[in-house]
Amino acid sequence: MAGSQDIFDAIVMADERFHGEGYREGYEEGSSLGVMEGRQHGTLHGAKIGSEIGCYQGFAFAWKCLLHSCTTEKDSRKMKVLESLIGMIQKFPYDDPTYDKLHEDLDKIRGKFKQFCSLLNVQPDFKISAEGSGLSF
Amino acid sequence: MSWVQAASLIQGPGDKGDVFDEEADESLLAQREWQSNMQRRVKEGYRDGIDAGKAVTLQQGFNQGYKKGAEVILNYGRLRGTLSALLSWCHLHNNNSTLINKINNLLDAVGQCEEYVLKHLKSITPPSHVVDLLDSIEDMDLCHVVPAEKKIDEAKDERLCENNAEFNKNCSKSHSGIDCSYVECCRTQEHAHSENPSPTWILEQTASLVKQLGLSVDVLQHLKQL
Repeated sequence: MAGSQDIFDAIVMADERFHGEGYREGYEEGSSLGVMEGRQHGTLHGAKIGSEIGCYQGFAFAWKCLLHSCTTEKDSRKMKVLESLIGMIQKFPYDDPTYDKLHEDLDKIRGKFKQFCSLLNVQPDFKISAEGSGLSF
Repeated sequence: MSWVQAASLIQGPGDKGDVFDEEADESLLAQREWQSNMQRRVKEGYRDGIDAGKAVTLQQGFNQGYKKGAEVILNYGRLRGTLSALLSWCHLHNNNSTLINKINNLLDAVGQCEEYVLKHLKSITPPSHVVDLLDSIEDMDLCHVVPAEKKIDEAKDERLCENNAEFNKNCSKSHSGIDCSYVECCRTQEHAHSENPSPTWILEQTASLVKQLGLSVDVLQHLKQL
């Protein structure tokens, strides 16, 4: 009976052993594929965020120079909103995908940006597809 | 079963040939079935392993790519935002349409540069054969804002080929393709920047445009990184 049990155990263990060998090879292959796939998707998402934040940043800094000589009370208010926008952009960690308030802060930046554009009475054309950026007014 | 057949074999020596054939036939069938089962088990294990490996490393790869993508494109975004600010300033001050068209053209050029850089990043990430790389090079839609002579184009293609050949060499040497791809990705990104004259050209055009508008050059102060 002991010999008989060993024989059957060998058969069952062979089944698991073959599965394990395939698993080990697949795991190595899957690890490489996972990094590559993840990197591709990550690059696209990161570039989208970087492009959008960069647009706000470039726009805000340029207008800060343009409004440098603020003479009226209205210009003063524009400058306040602009400074707030610049502060939000500078605090935003655009290159950290694990930031838990990423979407929340991004929405705040978008809202502040729209407010500033409304004060300027302009509708900026970043030539970005409106789908991703949520810039539709 | 086999011992039963052996017993029957002893009992009837006259039927030895027939029993032997049946024995052999059954043995072959069983052996084939066993191999088929084991191969299936290996494939199942392989598939499970791939899924498990991907699940573990997908987030890691995403984080790497995200950081790289954001850093590379940020400066183009800044340039685009600056041009957009100048455009809105022109609209507010009823400037002539020539300057407005010029700014729009520059915005289009920045968009093309962004697409070019992104395509480059994507094409470099997965290790591929030289033939595939050459095909992707041909498919690349290089930015045509600056009219380049044929010599310059050939020089660019030649450098790209050399760079990719070097990439293939590094890939074959390296044990893990991951580090190789990452390093090559950085290098290619720098290479793309140094080789593509458009960002510098766009900056120069923007600077002269700022002067035409009678504005201070401080507007471009934050773009010096490009």
